[in-house]
Amino acid sequence: MLGPTTTRADKKQATRAALISAAMRVYELDGIAAARTADVAAAADVAHGTVFVHFPSREALFVAAIEDFGGKLASRLHELAADGAHVREVLEAHLRGLAEHEGFYSRLAIEAPLLPREARQSLLSIQSAISFHIAEAAERDEAASLIKPIPTYLLFNTWIGLVHYYLANRDLFAPDGSVIERCGAELIEHFMSLIVPCPNQKEETS
Amino acid sequence: MKTCIACGMPMKNAEDYPGGDTSLDYCVHCARPDGSMQSYDEKAASMAAFIVRTQGLDEGVALATAKEMMAKLPAWS
Repeated sequence: MLGPTTTRADKKQATRAALISAAMRVYELDGIAAARTADVAAAADVAHGTVFVHFPSREALFVAAIEDFGGKLASRLHELAADGAHVREVLEAHLRGLAEHEGFYSRLAIEAPLLPREARQSLLSIQSAISFHIAEAAERDEAASLIKPIPTYLLFNTWIGLVHYYLANRDLFAPDGSVIERCGAELIEHFMSLIVPCPNQKEETS
Repeated sequence: MKTCIACGMPMKNAEDYPGGDTSLDYCVHCARPDGSMQSYDEKAASMAAFIVRTQGLDEGVALATAKEMMAKLPAWS
């Protein structure tokens, strides 16, 4: 409940957050490009015009939603991927972070190449935060011969490609629920099997 | 927890700060060897190089991406 010291700015901030949250639900159901601001307003239980008090355009609303999601994911990853984490732990943290908004992120993964430039840039910012953690962990694991020497961008893009394929086709892999919950552990095991040196290689490099 | 004004990285531990100086508002990745903060051009170049190394983007695209990311950060906006 809002207290007596609640200011007009607090209320404005609360409405903005409610609109972003509602937008993410609508995007999950209808797609980002196809979603209507009238449906976002209805989901947030505000008048249609209120959307445009907070966001000058439909595009500004979905860029704000992507940035809000990205900020939360980056903070979550920073929390979960503890200092000195191995690649496996960062991948687990990444999937846990995505699972919190799996439906929205799946839409983003599918539609990204078709979205306006600013929205694509926002997705690239999200990927940069993830790649930062994967790169740091990979550097440590490679130095300890726990993974093969692989260019960081191929390591990252291979992982993202795998995850995005499953998310984009979640209706095929997990029609009744979360594809991350159902397939996530297997994807991590598979990915790790590709990057961990085989026993002979390990002996040669150590 | 502070967030770097120049690249947006959360700064959790003393080693995230240049020389371990937690009074600074920028991180170790945004500092020059003498501890001062990198210039706009230096930061754009280092961020673009990071994007190329970790995501494999074309160099020109990576530089444009770095500049767009920087435009939203307090040090450069």
